[in-house]
Amino acid sequence: MNTKNRNLIIGGLIIALIIAVMAPFLASSNPDGLESSAESLEVPESEAAYTAPLPDYAIPGMEDNPLGGVVALIVGTIVVLLVVLGVATIIGKRKKNGTNE
Amino acid sequence: MHIPDGFIPLWQCAIYWIIALIALGYSLKWASKNLDEKNIPLMSVLAAGIFAIQAMNIPIPWGTSGHMVGAALIAIIFVSPWAAVLVLSIVLILQGLIFGDGGMTALGANIVNMGIIGGFVGFYAYKVLKGIGRIPAVFVAAWASIFLAALACSIEMSLAGTFPLVEGLIFMGLYHAVIGCIEGIITVVVILGIDNVRPDLLPAWVSSRKQEAVE
Repeated sequence: MNTKNRNLIIGGLIIALIIAVMAPFLASSNPDGLESSAESLEVPESEAAYTAPLPDYAIPGMEDNPLGGVVALIVGTIVVLLVVLGVATIIGKRKKNGTNE
Repeated sequence: MHIPDGFIPLWQCAIYWIIALIALGYSLKWASKNLDEKNIPLMSVLAAGIFAIQAMNIPIPWGTSGHMVGAALIAIIFVSPWAAVLVLSIVLILQGLIFGDGGMTALGANIVNMGIIGGFVGFYAYKVLKGIGRIPAVFVAAWASIFLAALACSIEMSLAGTFPLVEGLIFMGLYHAVIGCIEGIITVVVILGIDNVRPDLLPAWVSSRKQEAVE
């Protein structure tokens, strides 16, 4: 990977992590558009069919601590970056090495 | 707009899952032909940024909040709605699996709305509108992508018997018309940012630079 791409990944990741760190403090806790519509239309709350390891972007046991949310979001941001990088690298075009194209 | 479990009957969930899997197949096919060492880093950091910003709910009126989705951004930058399907699918799968954001039974529907409808509306709206100038075209395409995804979501809620059709459309449409402005502003800002830092990564149709017809 060349320097320009490495800088892009580092710079982009830093921006994403800044957002991830700020989100638990700044994000509105109001219901989102779908939840609000459901409340207005008196749709009862539903049960999740599956229990996620970090439900609602919080670490179980420290739901009230925004630092738990920060950690959860940092983990998520890095995992998303690595998964997309991995999937795209595996699926994407091979380097020009004479064997393809 | 992440639909939780329990809002859609399972047999309808299955239909959305099938549509989502077929679209995901097409998006992987697109990736195998169009992703290379040059654009993979950009796609990866944009996906990470979209994940993070989806946690940043911004308050809107009526005691509600909303966040950016990002499908139009990806579709415009990678000149394909399939790019948006790929990125949003990965983000939504990880949100559901790790954070319980969006039900796993409703994951197919969430991919249909935010990935497929968001991506296709964003892409084709920009394609049609780019004559009016790239900034307003990006804004309107991004706005339309989340607005129409929300309308699709309320139609699905109505088919599921969870929301009445008209009221659902009014509430979801109203909230997401406002959230769409957030989507539009951030999409414009990100594209201008890339234009400043790495203009070589922006395709000609959304770049400020006059590029010679390369492809």
